[in-house]
Amino acid sequence: TTPALSPAVRKLVAEHDLDAADIEGTGKGGRILKEDVLRHVEERAGDG
Amino acid sequence: MSKKYDVIVIGAGPAGYVAAIRCAQLGMNTACIDRWVDSEGKGRLGGTCLNVGCIPSKALLESSEQYEHAGHALEQHGVRLKGRQLDLKAMMARKDRVVANLTQGIQGLFRANSVDWLKGEGQLSGQGRVRFTPHEGEAEELEAGHVILAPGSVPVELPSAPYDGTYVVDSSGALEFDKVPGRLGVIGAGVIGLELGSVWRRLGSEVVLLEAQETFLTFCDEQIAGEAQKIFTRQGLDIRLGARVKGSSVDRKKRKVVVEYEDGEGTHEERFDRLIVAVGRRPATDGLVAPEVELTLDERGMLHVDDYCETTLPGVYAVGDAVRGPMLAHKGSEEGIMVAERIAGQATEMHYDTIPNVIYTLPEVAWVGRTEQALRAAATPYNRGVFPFAASGRARAMEDTTGMVKILTHQETDRILGVHVIGPQASELIAQGVIAMEFEASGEDLARTVFAHPTLSEAVHEAALATLGRPIHMGKAR
Repeated sequence: TTPALSPAVRKLVAEHDLDAADIEGTGKGGRILKEDVLRHVEERAGDG
Repeated sequence: MSKKYDVIVIGAGPAGYVAAIRCAQLGMNTACIDRWVDSEGKGRLGGTCLNVGCIPSKALLESSEQYEHAGHALEQHGVRLKGRQLDLKAMMARKDRVVANLTQGIQGLFRANSVDWLKGEGQLSGQGRVRFTPHEGEAEELEAGHVILAPGSVPVELPSAPYDGTYVVDSSGALEFDKVPGRLGVIGAGVIGLELGSVWRRLGSEVVLLEAQETFLTFCDEQIAGEAQKIFTRQGLDIRLGARVKGSSVDRKKRKVVVEYEDGEGTHEERFDRLIVAVGRRPATDGLVAPEVELTLDERGMLHVDDYCETTLPGVYAVGDAVRGPMLAHKGSEEGIMVAERIAGQATEMHYDTIPNVIYTLPEVAWVGRTEQALRAAATPYNRGVFPFAASGRARAMEDTTGMVKILTHQETDRILGVHVIGPQASELIAQGVIAMEFEASGEDLARTVFAHPTLSEAVHEAALATLGRPIHMGKAR
Protein backbone atom coordinates (compact mmCIF):
# COMPACT_ATOMS: atom_id res chain seq x y z
CA THR A 1 0.00 0.00 0.00
CA THR A 2 1.21 3.48 -0.81
CA PRO A 3 1.35 5.82 2.17
CA ALA A 4 -0.58 9.08 2.02
CA LEU A 5 1.68 11.84 0.79
CA SER A 6 1.32 15.56 1.17
CA PRO A 7 1.69 17.70 -1.95
CA ALA A 8 5.25 18.72 -1.10
CA VAL A 9 6.28 15.14 -0.32
CA ARG A 10 4.68 13.85 -3.51
CA LYS A 11 6.66 16.40 -5.46
CA LEU A 12 9.93 15.61 -3.72
CA VAL A 13 9.47 11.82 -4.12
CA ALA A 14 8.84 12.25 -7.81
CA GLU A 15 11.74 14.64 -8.21
CA HIS A 16 14.27 12.27 -6.64
CA ASP A 17 12.64 9.22 -8.20
CA LEU A 18 12.14 7.56 -4.81
CA ASP A 19 9.91 4.74 -3.64
CA ALA A 20 7.85 6.12 -0.79
CA ALA A 21 7.81 2.66 0.83
CA ASP A 22 11.57 3.04 1.53
CA ILE A 23 11.13 6.22 3.55
CA GLU A 24 10.55 6.18 7.28
CA GLY A 25 7.67 8.49 8.15
CA THR A 26 7.81 10.38 11.45
CA GLY A 27 4.52 12.26 11.06
CA LYS A 28 1.08 11.54 12.47
CA GLY A 29 0.27 7.85 12.05
CA GLY A 30 3.60 7.22 10.33
CA ARG A 31 2.91 9.80 7.66
CA ILE A 32 5.92 10.80 5.62
CA LEU A 33 6.83 14.43 6.11
CA LYS A 34 8.79 16.57 3.76
CA GLU A 35 11.63 16.59 6.27
CA ASP A 36 11.68 12.75 6.26
CA VAL A 37 12.24 12.75 2.51
CA LEU A 38 14.99 15.35 2.83
CA ARG A 39 16.71 13.27 5.52
CA HIS A 40 16.33 10.14 3.38
CA VAL A 41 17.83 11.89 0.38
CA GLU A 42 20.72 13.22 2.47
CA GLU A 43 21.48 9.81 4.02
CA ARG A 44 21.39 8.19 0.59
CA ALA A 45 23.77 10.81 -0.75
CA GLY A 46 26.08 10.16 2.22
CA ASP A 47 26.02 6.40 1.49
CA GLY A 48 26.85 6.93 -2.17
CA MET B 1 -28.24 4.94 49.71
CA SER B 2 -26.82 7.76 47.65
CA LYS B 3 -27.27 7.98 43.93
CA LYS B 4 -24.34 6.69 41.85
CA TYR B 5 -23.10 7.76 38.44
CA ASP B 6 -20.18 6.65 36.28
CA VAL B 7 -19.24 10.30 35.76
CA ILE B 8 -20.33 13.52 37.41
CA VAL B 9 -19.39 16.75 35.65
CA ILE B 10 -19.52 19.99 37.65
CA GLY B 11 -20.20 22.91 35.31
CA ALA B 12 -22.12 22.99 32.01
CA GLY B 13 -20.05 25.50 30.07
CA PRO B 14 -18.22 24.54 26.85
CA ALA B 15 -15.80 22.31 28.75
CA GLY B 16 -18.34 20.64 31.03
CA TYR B 17 -21.30 20.10 28.71
CA VAL B 18 -19.08 18.72 25.95
CA ALA B 19 -17.36 16.40 28.43
CA ALA B 20 -20.77 15.20 29.64
CA ILE B 21 -22.08 14.53 26.13
CA ARG B 22 -18.90 12.67 25.14
CA CYS B 23 -19.03 10.57 28.33
CA ALA B 24 -22.65 9.66 27.56
CA GLN B 25 -21.74 8.80 23.96
CA LEU B 26 -19.15 6.40 25.33
CA GLY B 27 -21.83 4.60 27.32
CA MET B 28 -21.24 6.12 30.73
CA ASN B 29 -24.08 7.00 33.06
CA THR B 30 -23.46 10.76 33.34
CA ALA B 31 -24.75 13.68 35.38
CA CYS B 32 -23.89 17.34 34.85
CA ILE B 33 -24.37 19.79 37.72
CA ASP B 34 -24.76 23.46 36.86
CA ARG B 35 -25.77 26.49 38.90
CA TRP B 36 -26.45 29.04 36.14
CA VAL B 37 -29.88 30.70 36.29
CA ASP B 38 -31.43 33.20 33.89
CA SER B 39 -33.16 36.47 34.85
CA GLU B 40 -36.30 34.49 35.72
CA GLY B 41 -34.44 32.10 37.98
CA LYS B 42 -34.59 29.18 35.57
CA GLY B 43 -31.58 26.94 34.98
CA ARG B 44 -29.52 27.64 31.87
CA LEU B 45 -26.90 25.42 30.27
CA GLY B 46 -23.93 26.69 28.27
CA GLY B 47 -21.98 28.55 30.94
CA THR B 48 -20.17 31.82 30.30
CA CYS B 49 -19.62 31.23 26.58
CA LEU B 50 -23.26 30.85 25.66
CA ASN B 51 -24.88 33.08 28.25
CA VAL B 52 -22.58 36.07 28.71
CA GLY B 53 -19.52 35.43 26.54
CA CYS B 54 -18.76 34.20 23.04
CA ILE B 55 -22.28 33.96 21.69
CA PRO B 56 -23.97 37.18 22.90
CA SER B 57 -20.82 39.19 22.12
CA LYS B 58 -20.70 37.79 18.57
CA ALA B 59 -24.41 38.47 18.16
CA LEU B 60 -23.84 42.14 19.06
CA LEU B 61 -20.65 42.36 17.00
CA GLU B 62 -22.60 41.14 13.98
CA SER B 63 -25.55 43.49 14.55
CA SER B 64 -23.34 46.51 15.20
CA GLU B 65 -21.32 45.70 12.11
CA GLN B 66 -24.48 45.66 10.00
CA TYR B 67 -25.42 49.02 11.50
CA GLU B 68 -22.02 50.51 10.76
CA HIS B 69 -22.08 49.15 7.22
CA ALA B 70 -25.44 50.74 6.59
CA GLY B 71 -23.86 54.03 7.64
CA HIS B 72 -21.25 54.66 4.97
CA ALA B 73 -19.65 51.46 3.70
CA LEU B 74 -22.60 50.78 1.42
CA GLU B 75 -22.10 54.05 -0.44
CA GLN B 76 -18.90 52.68 -1.92
CA HIS B 77 -21.07 50.02 -3.55
CA GLY B 78 -23.43 52.63 -4.92
CA VAL B 79 -26.08 51.80 -2.37
CA ARG B 80 -27.66 54.83 -0.74
CA LEU B 81 -29.95 54.56 2.24
CA LYS B 82 -32.24 57.37 3.23
CA GLY B 83 -31.15 57.33 6.81
CA ARG B 84 -30.72 54.63 9.39
CA GLN B 85 -32.07 54.17 12.85
CA LEU B 86 -30.79 52.17 15.74
CA ASP B 87 -33.36 50.08 17.57
CA LEU B 88 -31.16 48.97 20.46
CA LYS B 89 -34.02 47.18 22.16
CA ALA B 90 -34.61 45.04 19.08
CA MET B 91 -30.87 44.42 18.72
CA MET B 92 -30.65 43.21 22.32
CA ALA B 93 -33.79 41.11 21.94
CA ARG B 94 -32.27 39.36 18.91
CA LYS B 95 -29.11 38.64 20.91
CA ASP B 96 -31.23 37.22 23.75
CA ARG B 97 -33.13 35.01 21.28
CA VAL B 98 -29.87 33.66 19.85
CA VAL B 99 -28.66 32.85 23.36
CA ALA B 100 -31.96 31.27 24.47
CA ASN B 101 -32.10 29.19 21.35
CA LEU B 102 -28.59 27.80 21.75
CA THR B 103 -28.86 27.08 25.47
CA GLN B 104 -32.12 25.19 24.79
CA GLY B 105 -30.22 23.32 22.12
CA ILE B 106 -27.81 21.97 24.71
CA GLN B 107 -30.76 20.96 26.84
CA GLY B 108 -31.99 18.97 23.85
CA LEU B 109 -28.57 17.38 23.38
CA PHE B 110 -28.49 16.38 27.05
CA ARG B 111 -31.90 14.77 26.67
CA ALA B 112 -30.89 12.98 23.46
CA ASN B 113 -27.77 11.59 25.14
CA SER B 114 -29.49 10.85 28.48
CA VAL B 115 -27.25 13.18 30.48
CA ASP B 116 -28.86 14.01 33.86
CA TRP B 117 -28.97 17.80 34.28
CA LEU B 118 -28.81 18.63 37.99
CA LYS B 119 -29.63 22.30 38.69
CA GLY B 120 -27.73 23.68 41.64
CA GLU B 121 -24.31 23.80 43.27
CA GLY B 122 -21.82 20.97 43.04
CA GLN B 123 -18.93 20.47 45.43
CA LEU B 124 -16.22 17.83 45.35
CA SER B 125 -16.55 16.26 48.79
CA GLY B 126 -14.07 13.43 48.39
CA GLN B 127 -12.59 10.97 45.93
CA GLY B 128 -15.59 9.84 43.87
CA ARG B 129 -17.97 11.90 45.97
CA VAL B 130 -19.91 15.05 45.09
CA ARG B 131 -22.21 17.09 47.28
CA PHE B 132 -25.11 18.43 45.23
CA THR B 133 -27.16 21.34 46.62
CA PRO B 134 -30.15 21.93 44.34
CA HIS B 135 -31.56 25.45 43.84
CA GLU B 136 -34.66 24.11 45.55
CA GLY B 137 -34.60 21.27 48.03
CA GLU B 138 -32.20 19.35 50.22
CA ALA B 139 -28.52 18.79 49.59
CA GLU B 140 -27.48 15.24 48.81
CA GLU B 141 -24.28 13.22 48.49
CA LEU B 142 -23.69 11.63 45.09
CA GLU B 143 -21.21 8.92 44.20
CA ALA B 144 -19.24 8.85 40.97
CA GLY B 145 -16.63 6.60 39.40
CA HIS B 146 -15.04 9.73 37.98
CA VAL B 147 -15.52 13.44 38.56
CA ILE B 148 -14.81 16.15 35.99
CA LEU B 149 -14.50 19.68 37.38
CA ALA B 150 -15.38 22.40 34.85
CA PRO B 151 -16.26 25.40 37.01
CA GLY B 152 -15.13 28.02 34.51
CA SER B 153 -14.07 31.58 35.25
CA VAL B 154 -15.40 34.97 36.33
CA PRO B 155 -14.25 38.53 35.51
CA VAL B 156 -11.41 39.86 37.64
CA GLU B 157 -12.43 42.78 39.82
CA LEU B 158 -10.12 45.79 39.90
CA PRO B 159 -9.74 47.32 43.39
CA SER B 160 -9.31 50.73 41.75
CA ALA B 161 -12.56 50.36 39.79
CA PRO B 162 -15.04 48.23 41.73
CA TYR B 163 -18.20 47.15 39.90
CA ASP B 164 -21.40 48.97 40.80
CA GLY B 165 -23.55 47.19 38.23
CA THR B 166 -24.72 50.36 36.51
CA TYR B 167 -21.84 52.71 35.73
CA VAL B 168 -18.92 50.36 36.27
CA VAL B 169 -19.62 46.96 34.76
CA ASP B 170 -17.92 43.74 33.75
CA SER B 171 -18.19 42.11 30.32
CA SER B 172 -21.66 40.73 31.11
CA GLY B 173 -22.98 44.18 32.01
CA ALA B 174 -21.44 45.60 28.84
CA LEU B 175 -23.68 43.29 26.80
CA GLU B 176 -26.77 44.72 28.51
CA PHE B 177 -26.55 48.53 28.23
CA ASP B 178 -30.05 49.90 27.62
CA LYS B 179 -28.74 52.90 25.72
CA VAL B 180 -25.59 53.76 23.83
CA PRO B 181 -23.13 55.46 26.21
CA GLY B 182 -22.01 58.81 24.88
CA ARG B 183 -18.53 58.31 26.23
CA LEU B 184 -17.38 54.81 27.13
CA GLY B 185 -14.23 53.87 29.02
CA VAL B 186 -12.77 50.39 28.82
CA ILE B 187 -10.05 49.25 31.18
CA GLY B 188 -8.02 46.61 29.38
CA ALA B 189 -7.30 46.52 25.64
CA GLY B 190 -7.25 42.74 25.37
CA VAL B 191 -9.60 40.54 23.38
CA ILE B 192 -12.71 41.24 25.47
CA GLY B 193 -12.07 44.98 25.80
CA LEU B 194 -11.47 45.39 22.08
CA GLU B 195 -14.57 43.42 21.10
CA LEU B 196 -16.89 45.24 23.51
CA GLY B 197 -15.30 48.59 22.68
CA SER B 198 -15.87 47.88 18.97
CA VAL B 199 -19.56 47.04 19.50
CA TRP B 200 -20.32 50.33 21.24
CA ARG B 201 -18.09 52.46 19.00
CA ARG B 202 -20.02 51.19 15.97
CA LEU B 203 -23.28 52.08 17.67
CA GLY B 204 -22.05 55.61 18.34
CA SER B 205 -20.00 55.68 21.57
CA GLU B 206 -16.79 57.59 21.85
CA VAL B 207 -14.54 54.83 23.20
CA VAL B 208 -11.34 55.18 25.22
CA LEU B 209 -9.35 52.04 26.09
CA LEU B 210 -6.93 52.25 29.02
CA GLU B 211 -4.30 49.52 28.85
CA ALA B 212 -1.64 49.08 31.55
CA GLN B 213 0.79 47.25 29.24
CA GLU B 214 3.19 49.38 27.21
CA THR B 215 2.72 47.29 24.07
CA PHE B 216 -0.52 46.52 22.26
CA LEU B 217 -1.75 42.89 22.14
CA THR B 218 1.50 41.49 23.54
CA PHE B 219 0.45 37.88 22.95
CA CYS B 220 -0.10 38.55 19.21
CA ASP B 221 2.51 38.48 16.48
CA GLU B 222 4.06 41.94 16.70
CA GLN B 223 3.57 42.81 13.03
CA ILE B 224 -0.12 41.86 13.22
CA ALA B 225 -0.51 43.75 16.51
CA GLY B 226 1.08 46.85 14.97
CA GLU B 227 -1.29 46.66 12.00
CA ALA B 228 -4.27 46.11 14.32
CA GLN B 229 -3.39 49.12 16.44
CA LYS B 230 -3.16 51.32 13.34
CA ILE B 231 -6.51 50.12 11.99
CA PHE B 232 -8.42 50.29 15.29
CA THR B 233 -7.07 53.79 15.95
CA ARG B 234 -8.14 54.89 12.47
CA GLN B 235 -11.61 53.49 13.21
CA GLY B 236 -11.83 55.77 16.22
CA LEU B 237 -10.88 53.59 19.18
CA ASP B 238 -8.76 55.78 21.44
CA ILE B 239 -6.19 53.24 22.68
CA ARG B 240 -3.95 54.51 25.49
CA LEU B 241 -1.05 52.23 26.38
CA GLY B 242 0.91 52.26 29.61
CA ALA B 243 -2.16 53.71 31.32
CA ARG B 244 -2.42 52.38 34.87
CA VAL B 245 -5.76 53.05 36.55
CA LYS B 246 -5.30 54.45 40.06
CA GLY B 247 -8.85 55.03 41.14
CA SER B 248 -12.38 55.76 40.08
CA SER B 249 -15.52 57.26 41.52
CA VAL B 250 -19.14 57.28 40.45
CA ASP B 251 -20.91 60.64 40.41
CA ARG B 252 -24.56 59.59 40.57
CA LYS B 253 -25.91 63.12 40.29
CA LYS B 254 -24.07 63.82 37.07
CA ARG B 255 -24.38 60.18 35.99
CA LYS B 256 -20.69 59.95 35.25
CA VAL B 257 -17.80 57.81 36.32
CA VAL B 258 -14.49 59.54 36.86
CA VAL B 259 -11.33 57.54 36.26
CA GLU B 260 -7.90 58.55 37.39
CA TYR B 261 -4.91 56.96 35.66
CA GLU B 262 -1.17 57.34 35.39
CA ASP B 263 1.10 57.04 32.39
CA GLY B 264 4.60 58.16 31.41
CA GLU B 265 3.44 61.76 31.32
CA GLY B 266 1.82 61.86 34.72
CA THR B 267 -1.64 61.62 36.22
CA HIS B 268 -4.79 62.11 34.16
CA GLU B 269 -8.51 62.20 34.79
CA GLU B 270 -11.25 61.08 32.40
CA ARG B 271 -15.02 61.23 32.67
CA PHE B 272 -17.17 58.53 31.13
CA ASP B 273 -20.87 57.71 30.96
CA ARG B 274 -20.06 54.05 31.45
CA LEU B 275 -16.92 52.12 32.36
CA ILE B 276 -16.22 48.51 31.37
CA VAL B 277 -13.57 46.65 33.35
CA ALA B 278 -12.05 43.94 31.14
CA VAL B 279 -8.68 43.23 32.72
CA GLY B 280 -8.94 39.45 32.76
CA ARG B 281 -10.72 36.45 34.20
CA ARG B 282 -9.99 34.16 37.12
CA PRO B 283 -10.96 30.56 37.91
CA ALA B 284 -14.41 30.27 39.54
CA THR B 285 -13.26 27.69 42.07
CA ASP B 286 -14.56 29.29 45.29
CA GLY B 287 -16.39 26.59 47.23
CA LEU B 288 -15.82 24.00 44.52
CA VAL B 289 -13.80 21.70 46.71
CA ALA B 290 -14.72 20.83 50.29
CA PRO B 291 -12.02 22.03 52.74
CA GLU B 292 -11.13 18.50 53.87
CA VAL B 293 -10.41 17.32 50.32
CA GLU B 294 -6.75 17.37 49.41
CA LEU B 295 -6.72 18.92 45.98
CA THR B 296 -4.00 21.29 44.87
CA LEU B 297 -5.11 24.80 43.92
CA ASP B 298 -2.63 27.58 43.29
CA GLU B 299 -2.87 31.03 44.88
CA ARG B 300 -5.11 32.26 42.03
CA GLY B 301 -7.56 29.40 42.54
CA MET B 302 -6.32 27.51 39.49
CA LEU B 303 -6.72 23.73 39.72
CA HIS B 304 -3.44 21.90 39.27
CA VAL B 305 -3.56 19.24 36.51
CA ASP B 306 -1.15 17.20 34.39
CA ASP B 307 -1.03 17.11 30.55
CA TYR B 308 -4.14 14.92 30.54
CA CYS B 309 -6.14 17.18 32.89
CA GLU B 310 -5.93 14.76 35.80
CA THR B 311 -5.78 16.42 39.23
CA THR B 312 -3.72 15.25 42.19
CA LEU B 313 -6.69 13.12 43.27
CA PRO B 314 -7.14 9.85 41.31
CA GLY B 315 -10.32 9.79 39.22
CA VAL B 316 -10.79 13.55 39.51
CA TYR B 317 -10.17 15.66 36.43
CA ALA B 318 -10.39 19.38 35.73
CA VAL B 319 -10.86 21.12 32.38
CA GLY B 320 -11.44 24.55 30.86
CA ASP B 321 -10.79 28.01 32.28
CA ALA B 322 -10.00 26.75 35.80
CA VAL B 323 -6.85 24.94 34.63
CA ARG B 324 -3.63 26.09 32.92
CA GLY B 325 -3.67 27.12 29.28
CA PRO B 326 -5.58 29.73 27.29
CA MET B 327 -9.08 30.64 28.51
CA LEU B 328 -10.87 29.72 25.30
CA ALA B 329 -14.11 27.80 24.78
CA HIS B 330 -12.66 25.42 22.20
CA LYS B 331 -9.70 24.66 24.47
CA GLY B 332 -12.08 23.65 27.27
CA SER B 333 -14.27 21.58 24.97
CA GLU B 334 -11.36 19.60 23.56
CA GLU B 335 -10.04 18.99 27.07
CA GLY B 336 -13.51 17.72 27.96
CA ILE B 337 -13.41 15.28 25.06
CA MET B 338 -9.87 14.17 25.92
CA VAL B 339 -10.84 13.46 29.53
CA ALA B 340 -14.05 11.60 28.58
CA GLU B 341 -12.14 9.39 26.15
CA ARG B 342 -9.31 8.74 28.59
CA ILE B 343 -11.85 7.69 31.23
CA ALA B 344 -13.20 5.27 28.62
CA GLY B 345 -9.70 3.85 28.22
CA GLN B 346 -8.67 5.59 25.01
CA ALA B 347 -5.20 7.13 24.58
CA THR B 348 -6.46 10.53 23.48
CA GLU B 349 -4.02 13.43 23.60
CA MET B 350 -4.50 17.08 22.97
CA HIS B 351 -2.33 19.41 20.91
CA TYR B 352 -1.95 22.59 22.91
CA ASP B 353 0.37 24.01 20.22
CA THR B 354 -2.34 24.20 17.59
CA ILE B 355 -5.14 25.98 19.46
CA PRO B 356 -6.38 28.90 17.35
CA ASN B 357 -7.02 32.35 18.83
CA VAL B 358 -9.51 34.83 17.42
CA ILE B 359 -10.40 38.46 18.09
CA TYR B 360 -13.78 39.22 16.49
CA THR B 361 -13.17 42.85 15.69
CA LEU B 362 -13.37 44.22 12.16
CA PRO B 363 -10.99 43.34 10.69
CA GLU B 364 -10.80 40.10 12.63
CA VAL B 365 -7.50 38.93 14.05
CA ALA B 366 -6.69 35.22 14.26
CA TRP B 367 -3.61 33.16 14.77
CA VAL B 368 -2.22 29.73 15.56
CA GLY B 369 1.24 28.60 16.59
CA ARG B 370 4.29 30.71 17.20
CA THR B 371 4.76 34.43 16.73
CA GLU B 372 7.73 35.94 14.95
CA GLN B 373 9.06 37.46 18.17
CA ALA B 374 8.84 34.06 19.92
CA LEU B 375 10.80 32.39 17.12
CA ARG B 376 13.41 35.13 17.29
CA ALA B 377 13.69 34.77 21.06
CA ALA B 378 14.15 31.01 20.70
CA ALA B 379 16.72 31.58 17.92
CA THR B 380 14.73 29.34 15.58
CA PRO B 381 15.69 29.95 11.95
CA TYR B 382 12.50 30.77 10.03
CA ASN B 383 11.08 32.00 6.77
CA ARG B 384 8.30 34.53 6.62
CA GLY B 385 5.64 34.84 3.95
CA VAL B 386 3.23 37.77 3.97
CA PHE B 387 0.39 38.47 1.58
CA PRO B 388 -1.78 41.60 1.91
CA PHE B 389 -5.53 41.46 1.24
CA ALA B 390 -5.05 44.60 -0.85
CA ALA B 391 -3.66 42.25 -3.52
CA SER B 392 -6.59 39.82 -3.26
CA GLY B 393 -9.18 40.01 -6.04
CA ARG B 394 -11.89 38.71 -3.77
CA ALA B 395 -11.09 41.24 -1.04
CA ARG B 396 -11.19 44.02 -3.66
CA ALA B 397 -14.59 42.85 -4.86
CA MET B 398 -15.76 42.85 -1.24
CA GLU B 399 -14.33 46.35 -0.68
CA ASP B 400 -12.56 44.88 2.35
CA THR B 401 -8.83 45.05 1.74
CA THR B 402 -7.28 45.75 5.12
CA GLY B 403 -4.86 43.30 6.66
CA MET B 404 -2.74 40.36 5.61
CA VAL B 405 -1.95 36.69 6.01
CA LYS B 406 1.43 35.83 7.43
CA ILE B 407 2.94 32.35 7.55
CA LEU B 408 6.10 31.40 9.41
CA THR B 409 7.98 28.22 8.49
CA HIS B 410 11.13 26.53 9.73
CA GLN B 411 14.06 27.49 7.54
CA GLU B 412 15.47 23.95 7.39
CA THR B 413 12.45 21.63 7.52
CA ASP B 414 9.92 24.01 5.93
CA ARG B 415 7.45 22.96 8.61
CA ILE B 416 4.73 25.55 9.34
CA LEU B 417 5.35 27.08 12.78
CA GLY B 418 2.72 29.82 12.88
CA VAL B 419 -0.09 31.35 10.86
CA HIS B 420 -1.32 34.88 11.57
CA VAL B 421 -4.22 36.65 9.92
CA ILE B 422 -5.66 40.12 10.25
CA GLY B 423 -8.43 40.86 7.81
CA PRO B 424 -11.82 39.78 6.53
CA GLN B 425 -13.00 36.42 7.91
CA ALA B 426 -9.71 35.75 9.65
CA SER B 427 -11.65 33.60 12.13
CA GLU B 428 -12.58 31.22 9.30
CA LEU B 429 -9.30 31.43 7.40
CA ILE B 430 -7.27 30.42 10.45
CA ALA B 431 -8.80 26.92 10.38
CA GLN B 432 -6.68 26.25 7.30
CA GLY B 433 -3.56 27.03 9.28
CA VAL B 434 -4.74 24.85 12.16
CA ILE B 435 -5.40 21.86 9.89
CA ALA B 436 -2.09 22.34 8.11
CA MET B 437 -0.23 22.44 11.43
CA GLU B 438 -2.14 19.40 12.74
CA PHE B 439 -0.90 17.46 9.71
CA GLU B 440 2.59 18.81 10.32
CA ALA B 441 2.44 20.36 6.88
CA SER B 442 5.24 22.32 5.26
CA GLY B 443 4.97 25.72 3.64
CA GLU B 444 5.31 23.99 0.31
CA ASP B 445 2.37 21.70 1.13
CA LEU B 446 0.08 24.71 1.28
CA ALA B 447 1.80 26.30 -1.71
CA ARG B 448 1.11 23.18 -3.80
CA THR B 449 -2.55 22.93 -2.84
CA VAL B 450 -5.27 24.20 -5.17
CA PHE B 451 -7.27 27.10 -3.71
CA ALA B 452 -10.52 28.26 -5.30
CA HIS B 453 -10.49 31.55 -7.17
CA PRO B 454 -11.59 34.12 -6.30
CA THR B 455 -11.60 33.50 -2.52
CA LEU B 456 -10.03 35.09 0.53
CA SER B 457 -8.31 31.75 1.14
CA GLU B 458 -6.03 32.49 -1.79
CA ALA B 459 -4.23 34.89 0.54
CA VAL B 460 -3.22 31.83 2.61
CA HIS B 461 -1.94 30.19 -0.58
CA GLU B 462 0.03 33.25 -1.61
CA ALA B 463 1.49 33.72 1.87
CA ALA B 464 2.67 30.09 1.71
CA LEU B 465 4.19 30.78 -1.71
CA ALA B 466 5.81 33.86 -0.21
CA THR B 467 7.56 31.75 2.46
CA LEU B 468 9.27 30.06 -0.50
CA GLY B 469 10.07 33.43 -2.04
CA ARG B 470 7.78 33.01 -5.03
CA PRO B 471 4.34 34.56 -4.59
CA ILE B 472 2.61 34.99 -7.96
CA HIS B 473 0.46 38.02 -7.25
CA MET B 474 2.99 40.20 -5.48
CA GLY B 475 6.23 41.78 -6.59
CA LYS B 476 9.44 41.23 -4.66
CA ALA B 477 9.89 43.60 -1.77
CA ARG B 478 12.86 45.81 -2.50
